[in-house]
Amino acid sequence: MALWPFGVHDRETPSLGVVLVVDDEESIRKISRLTLTKAGYEVIEAENGEKAIEVLNTGENPLTVDVILCDIRMPKINGVEAIHYFRTQYPSVQIIVQTGFPDLNLATSLMKQGIVDYLVKPVEKEKLLAAVSKAAEQRTICNT
Amino acid sequence: MKPTAAEQSLIVVILGAGKGGSALIELLTRCAGIRVLGVADSNPDAPGLQLARYHYIPTTSDAAWLVARDEANLIIDVTGDPAIPALIARHKSPKSEVLGGTAARLIWSLIQEEHEMYEHLAHAEKLSTLGIFTAGIAHEFNNPLHGIMGFAQHLQGEADPALVNEYSREIVALTRRLSEMTKGLNLYAQTGQMPEMTDVQIPQVLDEAIKMAAFSTMLDEVTIVRNYAPVPDMQANPSELHQVFVNLVINAVQAMNARGHLTLSTGVEGGYLAVTIQDTGPGIAPQDLARVFAPFFTTKERGSGTGLGLYIVRTIITKYGGTIEPVSQPGNGTIFHIQFPLASAA
Repeated sequence: MALWPFGVHDRETPSLGVVLVVDDEESIRKISRLTLTKAGYEVIEAENGEKAIEVLNTGENPLTVDVILCDIRMPKINGVEAIHYFRTQYPSVQIIVQTGFPDLNLATSLMKQGIVDYLVKPVEKEKLLAAVSKAAEQRTICNT
Repeated sequence: MKPTAAEQSLIVVILGAGKGGSALIELLTRCAGIRVLGVADSNPDAPGLQLARYHYIPTTSDAAWLVARDEANLIIDVTGDPAIPALIARHKSPKSEVLGGTAARLIWSLIQEEHEMYEHLAHAEKLSTLGIFTAGIAHEFNNPLHGIMGFAQHLQGEADPALVNEYSREIVALTRRLSEMTKGLNLYAQTGQMPEMTDVQIPQVLDEAIKMAAFSTMLDEVTIVRNYAPVPDMQANPSELHQVFVNLVINAVQAMNARGHLTLSTGVEGGYLAVTIQDTGPGIAPQDLARVFAPFFTTKERGSGTGLGLYIVRTIITKYGGTIEPVSQPGNGTIFHIQFPLASAA
């Protein structure tokens, strides 16, 4: 099994990393997928916090997912609850929040919990790619 | 303090159904112990006559006939017509007192002042609600904006015509969504500059209220049940009815902590247009039930509500001759029963 720099990958084609995109809006997930796959990332999706936890606990995903791009306001388990779970269960997986809420208090509290960035929609693709690249780098540091 | 027998029997006749008469009817019908026996105006389109009909108050163009009714304790003349005092003197029962001339103008000014204060209060309550929802509104706008930005960025340099087509379609759909939201917000924030009375479809107002509630909280986990039996249109100021139902729907959704069933029903019961709004929240404690309509009463956290919502809801409903009754038991949710007299239906 080949050991890739970000997380553990045994796929034939290496990617820049695997990003789990969590957002309840299909069009938002589509934008993120387009931006990230074009840039060379592999993308998996979940439409709410509950699904994200389920996806993350499936198969080898806990080992292969490098970055979670997570919305806040979602049905079932919301972003805040989901992030708490991810930070507790999978502290090496890096988290970026991408939300419509320009909430400074929430941003501060989540940054303290160790998220990489708090992006307020609308997010330009260059900004998203910069944040994901930074997060993937930190994931590498966690793994070494 | 309960009104005494003498206070209970205050029976009033109003002459003049213009602005002054309308303000008087609005205020007097809110006062316990006062009964408006009738309203007269020579202009059949005077706004106060329609308002009187909501309250099942007899209206007439024959001031002399109304003045001669001997049950009246007080005749209030707000016509401003110099011929009316003589007509009153000729026809009135000796038992009736008259409030006219300068005294009536004074009362009229005071009521006008009170009316304007209330209008400002009602508008302030709307704006405060919008303020509380700022974060929700920003969220609801930022999501489609994000989509528009994203698809537009991917359009740049895209050579595949099928993808160009697909991304443009997404942008158009997201822009429409934004435009719908601005329309809804605008309708809610409007003041009394709208045409005073027009035909209003209650089910449509309820649907608009649901859209507004989406700004306050996540609605995905609220199952919305619409039991709309056909109802006639209601003659009303749409902005006021919008305020009533936005407040009630938002309260219901917040009471359930955004998880549960919200049932909205319309129908005709007897001579009334009935609307019920039912939630599956924790219900209202019996000691609070009597106070929910009191101004500044709130169980919400500081900064989450003004405590004026239900007070204004009831004031508007009463203006149209309607009633609102909450039924609630802790643990069993809350139902608000609203009835408007069909006289106000078109």
